[in-house]
Amino acid sequence: MNAIEIRNLTKTFGEKRAVDGLNMTVPQGAIYGFIGENGSGKSTTEKLICGLIQPNGGEIKLFGKDHRDQGVRAHIGVLIESPGCFPNCTVWNNMKLQAANLGIKDEDKEIRRVLHLVRMDGAASNKYKNCSLGMKQRIGIAFALLGNPSLLVLDEPINGLDADGMRLMREILVDITKNYGCTVLISSHILGELEKIATHYGIIRHGKMLLETTAARLNEDCPTYVALKANDMQKARTVLERAFGKADSDEATGEIRVAGGVKAEEVAKYLYENFAIPVTQLRTAKINLEEYYINLMREERK
Amino acid sequence: MSGVKHTAFINRLKSMLKVDARRMFTAPTVWIMFGISLALPVLILVMTSFIGGNTENGEAAAMFTNVWQAIGSAGGNAMSMDIASMCNINLLYFLVAIFVCLFVGEDFRSGYVKNLFTVRSKKTDYVLSKTIILFAAAAGMFLLYFIGAMAGGGIAGLSFDVAAAGASAGGIVACMISKIFFALVFVSIALTLATVGKQKLWLSILGSLAAGMLLFTMIPMMTPLNSGAFNVVLCVLGGPAFAAGLGAISNLILNKTNLV
Repeated sequence: MNAIEIRNLTKTFGEKRAVDGLNMTVPQGAIYGFIGENGSGKSTTEKLICGLIQPNGGEIKLFGKDHRDQGVRAHIGVLIESPGCFPNCTVWNNMKLQAANLGIKDEDKEIRRVLHLVRMDGAASNKYKNCSLGMKQRIGIAFALLGNPSLLVLDEPINGLDADGMRLMREILVDITKNYGCTVLISSHILGELEKIATHYGIIRHGKMLLETTAARLNEDCPTYVALKANDMQKARTVLERAFGKADSDEATGEIRVAGGVKAEEVAKYLYENFAIPVTQLRTAKINLEEYYINLMREERK
Repeated sequence: MSGVKHTAFINRLKSMLKVDARRMFTAPTVWIMFGISLALPVLILVMTSFIGGNTENGEAAAMFTNVWQAIGSAGGNAMSMDIASMCNINLLYFLVAIFVCLFVGEDFRSGYVKNLFTVRSKKTDYVLSKTIILFAAAAGMFLLYFIGAMAGGGIAGLSFDVAAAGASAGGIVACMISKIFFALVFVSIALTLATVGKQKLWLSILGSLAAGMLLFTMIPMMTPLNSGAFNVVLCVLGGPAFAAGLGAISNLILNKTNLV
């Protein structure tokens, strides 16, 4: 059974079609990376899943049941935009409210557990308004984890987290999916972080699902390339482009990238034997999620 | 099966009430409102007894001569409203409306509704629970105003003569019961407008005050100081009936509109 199954979902705001006939399948136990440009419809889709806004058409099923079903909804943890806390209340009191909402029996124990998970044990007595952005984000995650939800819907949860916070977030998400069978739908623009944990991806553009794939398939689809540095970079690039069809300069690393499945040794040998250009640095790499996504978007814009 | 559903509804309502009660009493707003309700009659009665206007003979004429005037006027003629009958307990209806808007508006402004409505799809529970808890708070405000009026009257040295105010002890009790239940009308109007306004607090407050102004002249007629059984029955039955009707509208609004 799929945790989330969406068919022909549509949502309009006035003239704008924020979600346009979207289809989406999130298998149970997956960490589903939901990717898209700003305004592509990610947050709207997540709000629709959580029943916070009303769709104009289509169907949303959670664990095989209508998304409005009270029984299903009681098992969703959510962090959309902000944690939704009362600023003048303490973190503890805010969490007590949500624990009561969820009908958790031993509220104090559960709150202590989730606060410990996100390493915010010491912040319980702080007023929410006095917490830093990173603290608020961690509190939001703790909120979402209350009561061991079966489905976590997280909208940009990594924003505002420091390096330790990001690592912690990864560990928590992997732990709850592996050990508790939780399903995670997570949208983020920090694709490098997403790539480390996601098992499935959905790429949305203009409210439509552009691509749904698994991490394994994406890995197969991402081509390898040879990255190198040579003594005469300009000449090396010209000759490599002529010989292998495609050679780009990577401005960030200052390397030349040769795509097309060619072997690294072959490239180095070609440069040295034919043009006496020694290669000073040579490696084979695979394009990552960010590059894959950027290329895909570039293709779509054409 | 229906028994199961009934139990589930009761349980849901109980837990929602628990959340709302906790939410209400852990935030400062309700205490501020209680404080205002208690202090307002003291201030009004004490201050007006010292700065009364002048009569034709040049003698000082205090606005209030009897403490029961702070609760209501006998007869309940809406058209003969003077400043004294406007500065009495009826002012609380506006304070109640503002409090409802602040309390419900904060749910939307803080984003709390995201946590709430993600795990609770039944909007009826929310509307019903809010109506009950806010009605309880309104009742508390009315009782505190009553206590404040007694204290203020004592400090200002006003007469406590019930007969002189044109009422009886039973009439005053009936008047208070009527006034408290009539507050349900204001609670449900403000609640409906707060669900319409959502994050736009100004809209719900302005709407509630405007609606309150329209109903304001009705209050002395419905809840005179010498209220009888008819007034009590009218308010005790009419208040909840009105709240049920508007509650259904609030429920519909929450179900059909975007919550964030």
